[in-house]
Amino acid sequence: MTKTNHTIKICCGTMCYIMGGAELHLIREHLPESLQDQVKVEGISCLGLCEKEGDSQHPYVLINNEVMPKASIQKIIQYIQNLK
Amino acid sequence: MTYYNNAIITKRELLVRILKLQKNNSLLEKIDRIPLEMRPRTNSPIRCCVHKDRAVIKYKIMALLGYNISDEQDELTPLSTYAKESLNRKEEGGHYLTVVDEACSSCVQVNYTVSNLCQGCEGRSCQVNCPKDAISVFNGKANIDHQKCVNCGLCQKACPFHAIAYLPVPCEESCPVKAIRKNENGVEEIDFDKCIHCGKCMTACPFGAINEKSQVLQIHDAIHVLKQKTVAIVAPAVLGQFKVPSGQILAAIKALGFDAVMEVAEGADLTAQHETAEWQEKMAEGANFMTTSCCPAYTELADKHIKGLKPYVSHTPSPMVFTADKARELHGDCKVIFIGPCLAKRKEAYNNKKADFVMTAEELGSFFAAYGIDVANEKSAQLSYVVSPEARGFAASGGVTDAIKAQLADPESFKSFLVDGISRKTIKLLKTFPIRPPKAPFVEVMACEGGCINGPSALAPPSIGNATLKKAVAELSTQAIV
Repeated sequence: MTKTNHTIKICCGTMCYIMGGAELHLIREHLPESLQDQVKVEGISCLGLCEKEGDSQHPYVLINNEVMPKASIQKIIQYIQNLK
Repeated sequence: MTYYNNAIITKRELLVRILKLQKNNSLLEKIDRIPLEMRPRTNSPIRCCVHKDRAVIKYKIMALLGYNISDEQDELTPLSTYAKESLNRKEEGGHYLTVVDEACSSCVQVNYTVSNLCQGCEGRSCQVNCPKDAISVFNGKANIDHQKCVNCGLCQKACPFHAIAYLPVPCEESCPVKAIRKNENGVEEIDFDKCIHCGKCMTACPFGAINEKSQVLQIHDAIHVLKQKTVAIVAPAVLGQFKVPSGQILAAIKALGFDAVMEVAEGADLTAQHETAEWQEKMAEGANFMTTSCCPAYTELADKHIKGLKPYVSHTPSPMVFTADKARELHGDCKVIFIGPCLAKRKEAYNNKKADFVMTAEELGSFFAAYGIDVANEKSAQLSYVVSPEARGFAASGGVTDAIKAQLADPESFKSFLVDGISRKTIKLLKTFPIRPPKAPFVEVMACEGGCINGPSALAPPSIGNATLKKAVAELSTQAIV
């Protein structure tokens, strides 16, 4: 099995945090075992995307530096699984 | 616990929008556009049509402006009128929950339904055992007559195919004191003679139909329009809501424009001292036990539902009361704003008039978002006061007990019992205490499972809230050593 490393960066700006971002910090508990040691989760400060794209795309995350708007734990996991 | 859902997000988005408009002084001009902007025609509607969705948004805004939905006299009254008058509105009943009847989907009247697993068997034990003769069989399938059914559930137990399903009404099921039920139109109604403001119905309703009446506009105006002297008193649970050190949270709150920010933990230290003394006195007088009094939903429960327990409830004022008194002592004539994840605190403040307004943790987050304040970028505030780590610990279940223990000369022999969360089951237990005293002489009662940190208007999921609160407590322990 090839070891791939993925980095999930969760936007911790206030707007993202209150609009669902806080929940995303629980992602470790939901990762399937096969992904546990391949994924790095970190918080980052506001990406500034909220001002550019209007108000309704929160919360944002960066997965391997790709932006994902309206992120949810399931969406993130699915995205990573599709990368493999 | 509350599972994160879209109804929560709608409420927060509304709060942010209202506050942004008010900040830019364009609330009256633009508030009536919010329903159109949030529910545009292009989206597929959540309910029957976009117009219904917009009506729901309108009434949710009305609640956030501090109104009861039943205050509506004329359906054509625009939100701008309510917004204009909201600042002069005086809360009269002290009822801080309101049902948005448009949003209430009028869940099932009868909790039992026959699913397509029904085999139309020969035994028909559902029909035979129904005490109200409510079940009939057509075309080989059982049917329940809603006029006759009394929700006893015998048919469900009797069916060998498990073909009869229980359909809950989430708000009614979550209410520990049976204070919410349907009116003749099938819409839920809250009986405020019974309601203890625990907020469980609000978080349980998947349609977001039960709304708290917010005071955000009054708070905004006290600070920025009326330029009153304002003091924020911050509950320890708030320190668990953002993933940063507590000094940064306190600094961010100050940045909202408050003249001063204090921690309710200061008052919690006084509560712990007084409550310990009171407990020792009561024990010396030969009392069997004493319960805590800092949870306002619990004291309202004792007042309204378990009168026999009242003599055993501590008379020590809550940390909010001590802190508010201290705020007025230090700052003179000022508006005191309590910040915490609790709904029942609004009711407590209404009753004892110690805090002028209550802001929930969700509302605090919305204030930060509307003001563009990023908690992570704030420079940590220096604490100008001393609080014990145990005082911050009040926010998690078991925290009050730990604080009392820390006051005692012989903590090892102290025995306590924790009622972690008010539910129908724990109410039954509490009702037995006056007759059969609990085994421990000190009982801590928290309406929310896990404590304030898991309050109905919290921002962070409980596990994160707990972990961050622990850090906030640890910050103080290490300081004390240095």
